[in-house]
Amino acid sequence: MEIKDFVCTGCALLCDDIGIKTEGNTIEKTYNTCRKGAARIRGDEERMTCTIKGREENIDKAITEAARILSEANKPMIYGLGNSSLEAQKKAIELASKLSAYLDDTSSFCQGPVVEAILEGKVPTCTLDEVRHLADMILFWGSDPASSHPRHLSRFSYFPRGEKRQRGWEENRTAIVIDVRKSDTSEICNKNFYRIPPGSDGELIDALTAALNGKIPKVSFGMSSKEILELANLLKKAEFGTIFAGLGLVYSLPEIEPMIKLIEALNKSSNFHLMPMVGQYNMRGFNHLLFEKTGYINRVKFDGNKVDHGPHCSVMEVLNSGETDAMLIIGSDPLGCFPKSIAEKLKNIPTIVIDPARTFTSMIADVSIPSAYTGTEAAGNAVRMDGEKVEITPFIDSKKLSDEEILKRILEAI
Amino acid sequence: MGFGQFISKPELDILIVTHRDIFQNSAYEHSRFSAEYADQSAIIILTASDMKKIGIKDNDRVLLKNKWGKVIVRAVESKEEEEHAGIAYMLNSPWSNVLVSPETNGTGVPSFKRIKATISSTEEKDVEVLPVSKWENQD
Amino acid sequence: MASAMEIYQYLPRTNCKECGKSSCMAFAAALLAREVTVDDCPPLKEEKNKENYDILVKLLPPAESASETGMIVHTELCTGCGNCVVACPVNVAEDPYGAGSGKAPTSDKIILRVEDGVVKLSNVESCRRFGPQSRLCSGCIATCPTKAIEFV
Repeated sequence: MEIKDFVCTGCALLCDDIGIKTEGNTIEKTYNTCRKGAARIRGDEERMTCTIKGREENIDKAITEAARILSEANKPMIYGLGNSSLEAQKKAIELASKLSAYLDDTSSFCQGPVVEAILEGKVPTCTLDEVRHLADMILFWGSDPASSHPRHLSRFSYFPRGEKRQRGWEENRTAIVIDVRKSDTSEICNKNFYRIPPGSDGELIDALTAALNGKIPKVSFGMSSKEILELANLLKKAEFGTIFAGLGLVYSLPEIEPMIKLIEALNKSSNFHLMPMVGQYNMRGFNHLLFEKTGYINRVKFDGNKVDHGPHCSVMEVLNSGETDAMLIIGSDPLGCFPKSIAEKLKNIPTIVIDPARTFTSMIADVSIPSAYTGTEAAGNAVRMDGEKVEITPFIDSKKLSDEEILKRILEAI
Repeated sequence: MGFGQFISKPELDILIVTHRDIFQNSAYEHSRFSAEYADQSAIIILTASDMKKIGIKDNDRVLLKNKWGKVIVRAVESKEEEEHAGIAYMLNSPWSNVLVSPETNGTGVPSFKRIKATISSTEEKDVEVLPVSKWENQD
Repeated sequence: MASAMEIYQYLPRTNCKECGKSSCMAFAAALLAREVTVDDCPPLKEEKNKENYDILVKLLPPAESASETGMIVHTELCTGCGNCVVACPVNVAEDPYGAGSGKAPTSDKIILRVEDGVVKLSNVESCRRFGPQSRLCSGCIATCPTKAIEFV
């Protein structure tokens, strides 16, 4: 069978032009996916097994046990959901509210500040399609799409022709990279690569803002005032610019305000936008849903009708301080991606994992529940890194339950 | 046994900057428990002068340690033309996360991308990084 | 590009003739001419020669991917980002609203497309570097983040 226009869930670009050739339920070939997307579509060769305390069990028992653990806990926490559909995320929010639980996602320690500034209307943003049609200035700051979002430059930001950019990259667009290392993206944009020391992003932001406000810019590292002035002038001449904020930038800024000020300074003469380089395919979807419900994008604790919010509700603080006494993890693998000394604390509390693939965390989980891959095996909707909603239609007939169905059944069992 | 074991190996303080890589990421999607993923993750990229300082060659094993843990990885010489003394690169993975501080100063954001550690050559055996099953010996 | 002498250094140099060639040097020349592949030397595949085998594979891009224009895709380096697909002037001319606009190709006449996460060549005779009116074009090379495309 030939499938057209499949949506890839390999990253938050949610490429919607993927071709797939199948033979029965087997994927023979993928078309137009990047290397990472191709791997994602084929899925992990080791699927999750359904277990309770390491023993294989049927899914009904596992769901009952998960419900028992969560309802007996005093301060349960639900975490993950960046790799789940909007429909599953809605169920998780409902579950957290019913349990008076902590609820957090990956944005808590990655793109949260950028998404928050956008949803609160503090900074102008745009869509990726607008970038393709209109942008003549693209700035990758602390981001390396060639490694993290491989088709970013070819589908949207640099190479393709668009309505107002008929000649594409050669004459119509300028791409700039600011980074602490020579990334693969900087190899392509090497004419406009600015290397800065780790942690000095804030300093350069302030210097650029000063330059745009008519002051003489200064930094403590090897960039001269002249170079900074030239960069500021290059940026402000743009008709339509977008700054793609990567983790390198976000981690380096204690507050996002200096970046907002820079964009304000640029927009006295230009038209600049900020966009987060979201990793997981539907992290932003979770942020949107929680924001609609509570006014916060992440890091909440439900308590009856009240909602507490702040760093003390973040997954890192809650887990590290021993504040939570049971954790439900959906589509995430803390034992792989958290600081080891924090992740290890999961060994001390009952932990439930829901994931299509066997995860590092499942090794220590009290309950592990296998789910279908949203994308190839389960349907749903997701929000792209630019805030656009994308519908996902599966093509593999799987007996596995989706995250949404599993969460629905846990909710019913409580 | 030679005298080598009594001579302390030169140590160097470094700042580890972590980043992502599409090949390692694809290996993760394919199988996070695979040797391929471990091989591509347990690496540190060093600039030539730093390798010289601790007396190692390309592909030698090195010990990285700080207050939070220690890990043994393979050293690879940086391909960047410009030297980056004192700064080393690792891919974001369970191997780099051994060294990430749990202290967030109340922000909830660990310092994943800027990790201070010391590096030295080593003959010690590998440190177990991936978790072992909590339930295996219960019978 | 490696020379026959350089290639020879990494061969077993035993002149065992298992490959069907008269000597290791003859095999090196055949490798360079892409008449044979590294895998055609049985001793090279033994564990003790693994290091040399790996070096040779890197030195010699697979023969089947060297097209008539001398264009080679090092698939092991390719990330499937599709930058070359959008940048190639022939792709743009043949398929302006598909491949030329960063979307799934809609034409069979394009040169570069992505399959299973890596670039695949077709219609290489249309490449600007090919034929009597050939000219230097670097669209695909300049836009590749990992230097996975090479003309030899």
